[in-house]
Amino acid sequence: MRMEHWWFTARLRLRSMLRRNRVERELDEELQFHLERKIEEGIARGLSPREARYAAMRAMDGLEQRKEEMRDMRRIRWLTDFLDDAQYAVRSLRRTPGLTAFVAITLALGIGMTSAIFSMVDALIFRPYPVPHPSGVVTLVGTTHDSSFNYFSYREYLDIRSQTKSYDGVIANANMEAVGFSAEPGATPRVKGGMMVSGNYFHVLGVEPRLGRGFREDEDQAPGRNAVVVLGPDFWKHEFGGDASVLGRTVRLNGTEFTVIGVAPETFPGMQIFARPDFYMPLAMARVFSTNRQKNFFEDRDDRELNVSARLKPGATLEQAQNELAVLAKNLESEYPKFNRGRGTAVHTQFEMRTRAGNVEWKFSVIFMILALAVLLVACTNVAGLLLSRARTRTREIAIRLAIGAGRSRLIRLLLTEILILASLGGLAGIAIAYGVVEWFHANEAIVVNTELPASLPFQIDLRVLLASVGLALLSALLCGLAPALQSTRVDLVNGLKAADVDVPGRKRLWGRNVLVVAQVAMSLMLLTASLLMVRGFQHGVLEGTVLAKDHLLMASFDPRLVQYDEAQTQRFYKLLAERVRDARGVQSEALMQNVPLGEQGFEGVAFVPDGFQMPRDRENFHSTMNTVDKGYFETLGIPILRGRGFLESDSADGPRVAIVNEQFAKHYWPGADAVGKHIRLDSAAGTPVEIVGVAQTIKYQLTFEKPMDFVYMPLAQHPVPRMFLMLRSSGDPLQLVKQVKDVVRTLDPNLPMLQTRAYADFYLNRAVKGPAVGIDLVISMGVVGLLLAIAGLYGLVAYNVSRRTREIGIRMALGAARGDVLRLVMGKGFVLVGMGTVFGLAMGFAVEQLMNSMLFNVGGVDIVAYVIVVPSLFVVTMLAAYLPARRAARIAPTQALRYE
Amino acid sequence: MSKPNDLVQGTLDLLLLKILALEPLHGWAISLRLTSISGDVLQVSEGSLYPALHKLEQEGWITAEWKQTENNRRAKFYSLTRLGRKQLESEAANWQRLSTAISHVVQLSEA
Repeated sequence: MRMEHWWFTARLRLRSMLRRNRVERELDEELQFHLERKIEEGIARGLSPREARYAAMRAMDGLEQRKEEMRDMRRIRWLTDFLDDAQYAVRSLRRTPGLTAFVAITLALGIGMTSAIFSMVDALIFRPYPVPHPSGVVTLVGTTHDSSFNYFSYREYLDIRSQTKSYDGVIANANMEAVGFSAEPGATPRVKGGMMVSGNYFHVLGVEPRLGRGFREDEDQAPGRNAVVVLGPDFWKHEFGGDASVLGRTVRLNGTEFTVIGVAPETFPGMQIFARPDFYMPLAMARVFSTNRQKNFFEDRDDRELNVSARLKPGATLEQAQNELAVLAKNLESEYPKFNRGRGTAVHTQFEMRTRAGNVEWKFSVIFMILALAVLLVACTNVAGLLLSRARTRTREIAIRLAIGAGRSRLIRLLLTEILILASLGGLAGIAIAYGVVEWFHANEAIVVNTELPASLPFQIDLRVLLASVGLALLSALLCGLAPALQSTRVDLVNGLKAADVDVPGRKRLWGRNVLVVAQVAMSLMLLTASLLMVRGFQHGVLEGTVLAKDHLLMASFDPRLVQYDEAQTQRFYKLLAERVRDARGVQSEALMQNVPLGEQGFEGVAFVPDGFQMPRDRENFHSTMNTVDKGYFETLGIPILRGRGFLESDSADGPRVAIVNEQFAKHYWPGADAVGKHIRLDSAAGTPVEIVGVAQTIKYQLTFEKPMDFVYMPLAQHPVPRMFLMLRSSGDPLQLVKQVKDVVRTLDPNLPMLQTRAYADFYLNRAVKGPAVGIDLVISMGVVGLLLAIAGLYGLVAYNVSRRTREIGIRMALGAARGDVLRLVMGKGFVLVGMGTVFGLAMGFAVEQLMNSMLFNVGGVDIVAYVIVVPSLFVVTMLAAYLPARRAARIAPTQALRYE
Repeated sequence: MSKPNDLVQGTLDLLLLKILALEPLHGWAISLRLTSISGDVLQVSEGSLYPALHKLEQEGWITAEWKQTENNRRAKFYSLTRLGRKQLESEAANWQRLSTAISHVVQLSEA
């Protein structure tokens, strides 16, 4: 019954909606028919036709009202009203194409910028894991004094897995940045990125392989037993052309044969934001991929390389999980004090992980989002200002509408429909702009994601971003439409009907526009300050990093694990490599290092106890980042040794252990004393003593804008690592050395690939200058857009004031006011507004600077220079915007002005 | 809005449904029928007739069709739908209940 009813009436409503004209005609015809019968009846009763007609109309009780009542009965009143409003709005907007275009473009800039930034923030922060029910997936972390986001060892992972009850499954994974891959046994291995995962990884995440199968639980139980691999979807397409017969094939990873058992689906590019694993291997095969040869992955409780996540059981809370894990951590602490003293745990949601303090992506997201919203606000205030003045020229129209009985809410709806249409136009264009910005990001992808490993910027215009754009359009429509609509419908009818453009006595009505201009100036000042601070902050970092002699350097990296060298072979290879390239023509000096400054991989860490240092009761050791380098390092890179010496040939494997620390480290642990000659002990107070033989100047190690950090250098012979960079200083173009180095490597081992061969200056430029420049460009463009909008807003306001006061100005001039007086009269207002805007803008600028300093740059205090540049230029530009219309006012001829209107 | 008529709220619907239950009619004929059936007791303004008919149509109780009258004029004829018949039954029953109750009360006060 209900359903039937609905079906019936829906059809009728659809009809009254779609065939409006016909329905209207029928309505007329029906009433007409009635009236004619009534008139005939009247005439039959002896009335004159005129009287009969009159009587018939009277019996109807007001024909038009009845019609309205009947229309109301159709229950689609709101819709037909909206369509009427839309039609009317389109017509009136087409009458003022310039204004319409300007408003649409302004809104498009605001919405487009914000949407583009949102697509970035969404990818970095909000987008859920690409798995079913992503909100149940949490990350488990270890906490220490130095870090709140620590990995777990394999043993610890097994403990967590067997001793927790809050989860439907606990998984572990470890990113292997460089794995030697060859599809054929004889081929030279190429470097690919792999991911070691626990056997239950795909199962717990709910990821169904696209082809073949995922790992079985038993496939990661016996170390070294199951050499199986699951390919990532992109890798499968590029490497195997999407061939389904790849299942069962044998490929070589780091020289070991693996059988392909499956392909992950396209919907699962991996759990990380940027990196997309080429393939997945079971944890049990860790020995093939191990980077740390001093530790045993399966046994050592302090070989912490695993990122542990879990899927919460339905109904289990984060708090329960946290408490449970905390108990486990306490047990481990008492059971293994040597490894687990002072180690706590925490369970975090995806959002918590991504917004953790210290996450650079989160910091950038916050700053960019604030700036983008500022642009949107400037755009909205601008449009609101325009609409306010437009509404004033329509005072009379609105007064007439009110006078003949339109309700105020009805009029507000009409005005809001207008701005809604404008916002839709702006929103559409805004999506196009956002699309352009994202494309531009992708065009710069190679610079931003500067790596050989598979990675991409995950920014895209997807449904989420489109929804956000629509939301922003609606929001901006409300923001900039509501106030003008409310104000312009509050009309004094008597005055409104008398004049076309009445100025209701008092300043109240202009007050709104003034506030808008002040806000615009303030906001664009903040935007400009932010962009300049960003530029200067990065420049500062780049300049500071110039202690490095970057030019004439060639870099290349090697990983003998790719060809299955053992440790002795590896050491021999590097020794011979260094010796032979030294003799090559054009090589001035050579160096080997585990990582280059501003390199892509993170640095290794070292745990130590400074000799003679009273350790706090609750901690075993301190941590620092470190690099393994050979004796040529400091000379080749031009890093000054401030005290003591660099590494020597005599710092060999069987010589006494030595290290060099940076100035920051020396000041940190031995303030006021000479660090040279002091000792540190590795791992604990009972560990191997290492003598500090030199202090090197502090440089930038990972980011140009990082804070000065502690750093330790160890000699290659005493701390061997498999993957090393070779750096050569040439007398001329470093790339001319490439062929000679290749020849040397070929004589040593023709199968060993030479990786990342490029001029270091070029690499450095990308990492330190071009990458940040992408962000800087974005901030600058926001600053410029904000400034342009503010200029337009101010110009509009002053010009509008002038046109409104033309007659007044004419009278003043007729009475003897000079041009200067008029200029002052008109400009004075602009001056006050810009001044107020500057004051507010400065306050906001300081706030943003504090934020940027605390988040990005390690600079305290205020960057006076930035303000000295920004404030006067903004002032000059905005005053110019006020001057142009003011000058026009001053040139008004009194005779003309008095005739105006 | 419409002038309050002398009919008890909602009874106009009942009357219209009842009249149309007998035969399909156009608006003019309905208004004639209304006056002729009830004489001068029930005053229905011609003005409120059409909105009421439109409401019934939107509710799906009656349906309209353009047909020729006996004088060869085009007119909109309303007829009862199946839903309308059910509605009529329930409203008539309601009315019966109400009027019985009211007459009871009225008799009570006289006694």
